[in-house]
Amino acid sequence: MTQEYVTEIADFIARYLSYMLGAGVHTSRVVRNSKRLGTALGVDVSIHTSQKTATLTVCGKDDTSVMNTRVLDIPAFPISFEWNADLSALSWAAYDKKMTLDEIRMKFDALVSKPKMNPVFVLFMASLANASFCRLFGGDIWAMLVTFTATLIGFFTRQHLTRRHVNHYIVFIVSAFVASLCASTALTLGIDTAEIALATSVLYLVPGVPLINGVIDITDGHIQIGISRLVNALMLIVCIAIGMSGTLMLVKDSLL
Amino acid sequence: MDIFWNTIADYNAATWPYQIGLMAVAAILTVILWLRPCTWAKVAMKIYMVAVSLWIAFVYYGQFASGRDYSSVMTIFWCMMAAAWIYDLVTHFSSFQKSGRYRPWGVIMLLLPLVYPLISVLRGMEFPMIATPMLPSAVALYMLGMLMAFNNRINFFAFIFIVHWSIIAISKIVLFDIPEDILLAAACLPSMFIFFKEAVDADKTEHKPSVKAVSALILLVAVLIGACMVIEYV
Repeated sequence: MTQEYVTEIADFIARYLSYMLGAGVHTSRVVRNSKRLGTALGVDVSIHTSQKTATLTVCGKDDTSVMNTRVLDIPAFPISFEWNADLSALSWAAYDKKMTLDEIRMKFDALVSKPKMNPVFVLFMASLANASFCRLFGGDIWAMLVTFTATLIGFFTRQHLTRRHVNHYIVFIVSAFVASLCASTALTLGIDTAEIALATSVLYLVPGVPLINGVIDITDGHIQIGISRLVNALMLIVCIAIGMSGTLMLVKDSLL
Repeated sequence: MDIFWNTIADYNAATWPYQIGLMAVAAILTVILWLRPCTWAKVAMKIYMVAVSLWIAFVYYGQFASGRDYSSVMTIFWCMMAAAWIYDLVTHFSSFQKSGRYRPWGVIMLLLPLVYPLISVLRGMEFPMIATPMLPSAVALYMLGMLMAFNNRINFFAFIFIVHWSIIAISKIVLFDIPEDILLAAACLPSMFIFFKEAVDADKTEHKPSVKAVSALILLVAVLIGACMVIEYV
């Protein structure tokens, strides 16, 4: 095994690792899959992860004198369950079918260059999901409709600000404020379930994936990144609370 | 329901000369934009949109409808509508250029606010207790008409605020017995389909699901909202 080959493998696994962590896959799965890829290619892989960076060492299985270590930045991709599933399957395929590095690389490039979700589709589906939450919490048809359009406005605001690279904490505060303020118009209709519309209008912002990943990471022993993810999720929840508090203070003169 | 119509009557009785003035300005600016679209007319129209939103916020909801529960919410909402137009004014986002495909629809929508008082009169109501073109829903309908008639590139923020207002209007048809707002609902649901479909069609980046599937979803949502209105009203 040559140094050049190990460097090539390290290049690829670094990309693989950063895509998986960036897409919101929990750490133990990323580590497991990367090690599996390494085994398929005949190298040992060691990984240390943190919130923004990861350290990767690849060395020959039999000859530890050939090795490559690097620190890589984790890009901020949108959460993607598709990448999670596809890239995990790729590691198994590489292991089971004894694929070469070139074959794995080609397959990886094909998987990550699949078309992304249509933003209008996501906008409508998120709004429908929130309207459904409203129904689950006991909202009537008018509360559901108000929640739908309030989410439409809030989510559109979020998409617009994110495209303009506004700080994501500010994006969360503004989106929560706008969505809850629009939902608060249900109060003027005098319907019984107006407060359900108000409460459910910000649910699309709840950072479910970082919360779940944080807990999984901690239980799997990746304490540092687990706590980082939970703190990050907590910050986002605080931002939602700030946005919603703004609405409540304006509309109801109190937070309850 | 009484307080709802009484506040409308007070508003009309006290502000009818101003309402006529605002309608005249809207008519002049619309005609200028239609016949000789120039930069100052486009800017003037956006300033008018800001002014009329603030009029609804502070004069209608802030003063005359202040007796209604949570009227301050509506004041804030219409201030957000004004903010959407100010944002447009600053970023020069919407072009207010005529688009051939939906112009007839746009003309109809621009004229629909004038039908509001006619429906009220046909229902046996008398001035000042009638719906006028300077009530919030009629103003939203006028804005929608402008977006439809000049939809080369539209102010999407203002549009989705109008969609939200239409949902409020749909509920008011049932909850406050104001069937005049059927006009806004009837205009808004097809507009929702058209504008979002145009946005999907205009995006040349390859996305999934297919454009047809997204268009079908938008149509389905518009139909569902319409069905909710019909079921609740009937």
